[in-house]
Amino acid sequence: MLKYALRRLVYMIPILFGITLVTFLLFNVAGGNPAIVAAGRYATPEQIAMIKAQLGLDKPLFMQYLDFLRQIFTLDFGYSWFTKQKISTLFMDGVGPSLSITVPAFLISLAITIPLGLLLAFFRKSTLDRTILVIALAGISISSVVYVIAGQYVFSYKLGLFPISGWETGWDTRWEFAVLPIIILVVLTVGTDLLFYRTVFLEEIHQDYVRTARSKGLSNRTILWKHVLSNSLVPIITLVILEIPTLLTGTLLIESFFGIPGLGGLIYQSIENSDFPVIKAVTVMTAILYMVFQLLSDLLYAWVDPKIRLG
Amino acid sequence: MAINEAMTQTLTMIEPQTIKKGKSLWTDAFQRLRKDKVAMVSFVVIVFYLALAFLCALNIAFPNYALVDNTIAYQAPSADHWMGTDIFGRDVLARAAHGTVTSLIIGFFGAALSILVGTLLGSLAGYFGGKVDDCVVWFYTTVDTIPYILLVVAFSFVAGHGLKTLCLAIGLTSWVSHCRVIRSEFMKQRGREYVQGAQALGAGHLRRVFFHILPNTFHLALINFSLLFVSAVKSEVILSYLGLGVEAGTPSWGMMISDAKLELARGVWWGLTAATAFMFFMVLAVTLFNDALRDALDPKLRGK
Amino acid sequence: MSDSLIQIKNLSVEFQTDDGAVRAVKNISFDIPRGKTVGLVGESGSGKSVSSLAIMRLIPNPPGKVTSGEIIYEGKDLLKLPEAQMRKVRGDRISMIFQEPMTSLNPVFTVGDQIAETLMLHQKLSKAQAMAKAEDLLTQVGIPNPKERIKSYPHEMSGGQRQRVMIAMAIACEPDLLIADEPTTALDVTIQKQILDLLADLQKKYGMSILFITHDLGVIADIADEVVVMYRGDIVERGHTENIFTKPQHPYTKGLLACRPSLEQNARRLPVVSDFMTPDGKERAPNTASTKNKKETRVISEQQPVLLEIKGVKKYFPLQTSFFGNVKSWVKAVDDVNLTVRRGRTLGLVGESGCGKTTLGRTLLRLVEPTDGQIVYNGTDITKLDREKMRAMRRKMQIIFQDPYASLNPRMTIGAALMEPMVIHNLGHSRSERLDMAADLMKRVGLEPAMLGRYPHEFSGGQRQRICIARALAVKPEFIICDESVSALDVSIQAQILNLLLDLQEEFHLTYVFISHDLAVVKFIADEVAVMYGGRVVEMNDAVGIYENPQHDYTKKLLGAIPKGMPKHLL
Repeated sequence: MLKYALRRLVYMIPILFGITLVTFLLFNVAGGNPAIVAAGRYATPEQIAMIKAQLGLDKPLFMQYLDFLRQIFTLDFGYSWFTKQKISTLFMDGVGPSLSITVPAFLISLAITIPLGLLLAFFRKSTLDRTILVIALAGISISSVVYVIAGQYVFSYKLGLFPISGWETGWDTRWEFAVLPIIILVVLTVGTDLLFYRTVFLEEIHQDYVRTARSKGLSNRTILWKHVLSNSLVPIITLVILEIPTLLTGTLLIESFFGIPGLGGLIYQSIENSDFPVIKAVTVMTAILYMVFQLLSDLLYAWVDPKIRLG
Repeated sequence: MAINEAMTQTLTMIEPQTIKKGKSLWTDAFQRLRKDKVAMVSFVVIVFYLALAFLCALNIAFPNYALVDNTIAYQAPSADHWMGTDIFGRDVLARAAHGTVTSLIIGFFGAALSILVGTLLGSLAGYFGGKVDDCVVWFYTTVDTIPYILLVVAFSFVAGHGLKTLCLAIGLTSWVSHCRVIRSEFMKQRGREYVQGAQALGAGHLRRVFFHILPNTFHLALINFSLLFVSAVKSEVILSYLGLGVEAGTPSWGMMISDAKLELARGVWWGLTAATAFMFFMVLAVTLFNDALRDALDPKLRGK
Repeated sequence: MSDSLIQIKNLSVEFQTDDGAVRAVKNISFDIPRGKTVGLVGESGSGKSVSSLAIMRLIPNPPGKVTSGEIIYEGKDLLKLPEAQMRKVRGDRISMIFQEPMTSLNPVFTVGDQIAETLMLHQKLSKAQAMAKAEDLLTQVGIPNPKERIKSYPHEMSGGQRQRVMIAMAIACEPDLLIADEPTTALDVTIQKQILDLLADLQKKYGMSILFITHDLGVIADIADEVVVMYRGDIVERGHTENIFTKPQHPYTKGLLACRPSLEQNARRLPVVSDFMTPDGKERAPNTASTKNKKETRVISEQQPVLLEIKGVKKYFPLQTSFFGNVKSWVKAVDDVNLTVRRGRTLGLVGESGCGKTTLGRTLLRLVEPTDGQIVYNGTDITKLDREKMRAMRRKMQIIFQDPYASLNPRMTIGAALMEPMVIHNLGHSRSERLDMAADLMKRVGLEPAMLGRYPHEFSGGQRQRICIARALAVKPEFIICDESVSALDVSIQAQILNLLLDLQEEFHLTYVFISHDLAVVKFIADEVAVMYGGRVVEMNDAVGIYENPQHDYTKKLLGAIPKGMPKHLL
C-alpha cells in the first residue's frame, strides 16, 4: 500500500510538468501579444515595449517558462491586469463564497442521488424507475444556462422569493443570497449524478454475491444497503472525490449571474477581460488541485478495496 | 495420405448463392431496436431534425431568418410571427430553426473529431502497451486534468472565434473519455483467443488491429459519438454565454439563450423558449436513442 | 410419502427471450427423500439449474417465471409462500451453494462476517456468539487456523477453500436440504474429491438431504443415492443410482453413460448419444457397424520420426518488481520442460490448474515468447526465427483453444474466418476457389457449407468448435495443439469432437499435443502422456502405462482422485 502511494506520487511529477507546459504553450506562445492587451488601446510602441519588459515577455521563451514555474512553486502569480490586485489575494478571497454555494449543493445532491439511485436500480423498469428516469433525462436535455437564467427570472424577479443578485461577506448574512444559487446548482447536477449512480448500482445488483445473499434469506434492504452499497463504494468515491476540486472553483455560470464573488466569478471575469495572468494561474491551480484529489481518490480506493490494500 | 492430396481430390464446388446470409450482431441489434417504441420515436425525431437542418441550409425552409426590420423589434408571438421577433425584428421561429444547422455542425464535427483522435491514440496505447502506452496516458492525463472550459478558452484565444474554431476546440478537448474506452477495450481484446488465433494463423499486427480488434470497437464509437454530440451542443451554449460563440449574425441556440439574459428583464421570453424547446427535443431524442442503442448492442445479451 | 422431504409436482418454468417464451422446465415431478443425496444430472439446456433455483424461489423474475406446479415442504407449497416467510426458509431450512465460489462471496467482507451474517439473521445470535460459531464451522469444513482465517477476505483464499467457506455458510443453521449447483465443476479433480468427501461427511453428521446438480455422471456415481436425468427440460429417467448405471432404460441415459471416455477401456472411438437416440428422443437400434467400437488398442509405431523436440523450455513471469522496475521474484510457469513428439502421434499433457500446461502450449507456438530453451520443429529451432520465417512456419503449427466462442471474431462470418488464413498465406488463386476450399472444410468437420454466411453466435458450442478445427485445417498444418479443446463442451458433444479429431488425424496424418485436466479424455486420445505439476513434467509414459503403472506420487494422487464412474459397491 505504501509502495502504491509512493509510486502514484512519483507519477504526478511528469503530469505536473505536462500541465505547466501545455498551459504555458497555449498562453505565452500562441496567445498573441499580451503586452498589447495590457497596455490598452492607445499605447505607444515605447509603452508597449516597457510593459513587455515589465511582464518579462522580452526574455527568451525558455526563461519565461522558468519564470512561470517559479510562480507556481511560490504561489505568487503576480497581479491581475484588470483589477490590479495580487492574484493570490483574489484566490483567497474567492474561496469562501464559492464553498458556501458548492458544498451545501454537493451534500444535498449526494443525499438525494445515492438512495434514489439504489432504489431505482433495485426496482428497475418499474413505474417509479421509468418516471424518474424520464424526468432526469428531460432535465439534462436543457442547457445549464437556461436553468440559471430562467431560475433567476422566475424565482427572484417574478416571484420575488430571493434577491436577484449580490452577496454579503458575513457568515450569517450571506445565506439569503446563497439559497437560490444552491438550489439551482443541485438541480443542475442531480440529473447526471443520479443516472451515473443508478448504472453503478445496477451493475452490482447483477453480481453473483447478491444471489448468494438472497439464498441466505437476507432482506432486500440488507442486500441493498449493506452488500451492494459497500461494493459500489469504489466508483462512487472516485466520482465524489473528483468533484471536490470543482467545489472550490465554483461554478462560472451561477456566480457570474448572481454576482457572487467566488472563484468561478473570478474565472468568468478574467475570460471577459482577457486577463491572462489570472487565467493562467487559475488553469494551473485548478489542474494541480484536480491532480491532488485524483491521487487522494486512488489512495482511498486502494484502502477500500481489500484486494489492493492487502495485495 | 498427406493433407494436400486429400484436399484437392475431393474439392467441393459451391455456388455462392446457396450460402445463406447470417444475422450479424449489427442486424441483431437493429432488429431489437425496431421493437423498442421509444427508440423508434426518437429516431423519427432525429430524422426530422436532420431534414429540417438540410432544408434550412438550402434556404428552402424559413428563408427569411435574416430579414431585419427594426420596426417590429421584440414583438410578442403573433399570427405573423409564431414565436415573435428578436431585437432586430427577425422572426424568432425562423432563427431557432436555422440554429439547428449550427448545432448539428458543431455536434457532428466536434464529436467526430473527438472520436477520431480518441480512437487513434487509444488503439495505439492499448495495443502496443509499454512506452507507447505510457506516453499516451501521460498526454491524456495532462489534457484531462486541465479544466475543460479553460482549455477551450485557451484554444479560442489562439484560434479566434467562430463556428470552425468551436468545432476544433470542442473536438480537440473532448477526446479523452473515448480514448480511455478504446484503450481499455484494446487491452482487453488483445489477449483474447480470436486475436491469438489470428496470430497463430499468421496474421500480423496490422491485420489483427484493423480486421479483428477495431471492428469490435465500432459499437463503442457509435455510442460515444452520441454522447459527445450532446455534450458539444450543450457546450456551445455555455461558450456562447462566455462570448466565445459563433460569429454575430449566425443563428445559434447558444446565442439566443445567452441573449435572453438581457431580454428577460424586458419581459421578452420567446427567444429563450424557442431555442430551449428546439434544443430540448433534439437532445432528448438523441439521449433516448443512445440509451436504447446501448441496450441493443449489449454483448452480455449475445451468444448462448 | 413421509420420508420425502420435498415433493416437486408438475413444475414448469418459462423464460422470456428475444425469440419469444422458452420453456426451460417442462412439467417435471420428483421427490427428495430425507437424509439422502439426489443427483440431478443433465447437460447444458437440460433445465437442471433452473429447477433447483425454483425450489429456493431465486429465479430472476424478469425474464423467468414459474408457470405451474407445486413444491411441497413440510406440508406447505413453497411457491405460494409469502416472500417474508420464504426468506425465513432460505439459508435456514434450505440452503444453496453455487459453482463459482470467487464471485459468489462478497469481496469486501471477511469470510467470518459472511458466515456470521447467516447465524445472526436466523438464529438471532449476537455478533460475538456468531463469530465463535463461525470459527467452529470453519474447522468442520476443514479449514486450518480458523481463528486467523475468520478475518480473511475471499480473494486471499484458494478456490477449494472458498468453496469450503460457502459450505460452512450453507450448513451454519443445520438445514434440512442443501442444494449444490455444480459445486465442484470449477475445481481441480484433487480438490473436487476433498469437497465431495466433505459433503458426504457433513450429510452423515447432520442427516440432511442433498440435491446435487452436475453434468458429470462419474461424480454422481460416487455420491448419489438416487438419480434424476434431465434432457431439454424433461425428466427422462429416474431411479436408484445402481439401476441407472447397470440397467438404464431411456436411450438418452444409455447414450450419456456410453459416451464418457473411461480409464478402464481402451476404445478406438467413443459412442455418441446419437448412436442411441434419434433427435426427437426415440430409441435407435444400436448399429454396431457404424459405431466402429473396436476395442483394440491403437497401433504403436515407434519408428515414426521425431517431429517436435522441446528442450529446456522455460517461461517465467515477473511477480514482484522493486520500485525501480527490477524484478525481485518470478512466477515459474514453465520450468525446464523437455519433451519429444513423434510424427502422427498424440502427446497428452495433463495437469491441474496452474501446472503450466496452457502456458507451455502457447509457448510452443510463440504466442508467448519463451524465456529460455529451444523448440525444434522438424530440425529448425523456431525460437530463433524472424517474423517472416515464423509466419511461414505458422502454416504447419496450429492451435485450437478451449472457449469456442472467444476463439471466433464475433463480427466475422465463419466463411470469412475460414478464408482469412488462406488469404494470409496465399492459398487459392481466387475468391471462388477459396470459397470452395472453405466449403470443403465445412464438410470435413461435419457442417453444412450453406452455413458459411452465418455468424458465430448463431451456432452451438460444439458447432463452433468444429469451425475452429476447420479453420486450423485451412492452412493444411502438420501439427495441432489442442488446448483444453473439449473441456467447455457437454459430454455428448465432447465425444463427437474427440472422434472427429481422431478421424482427422488418421486422414491427414496429423500430430497432436492434447492439453487437458481430464485424465480420462487424455487417456482416450493420447499415445503418450506427460503429467505436469508446478511447471515441470513429473512423469511421462505411454498412455496405457501411465494409468496402469504410475510412478510419481503426484500421478498416483491424481489418478486416485478421479471419480470411478460406477457406484462404489459395483466396482
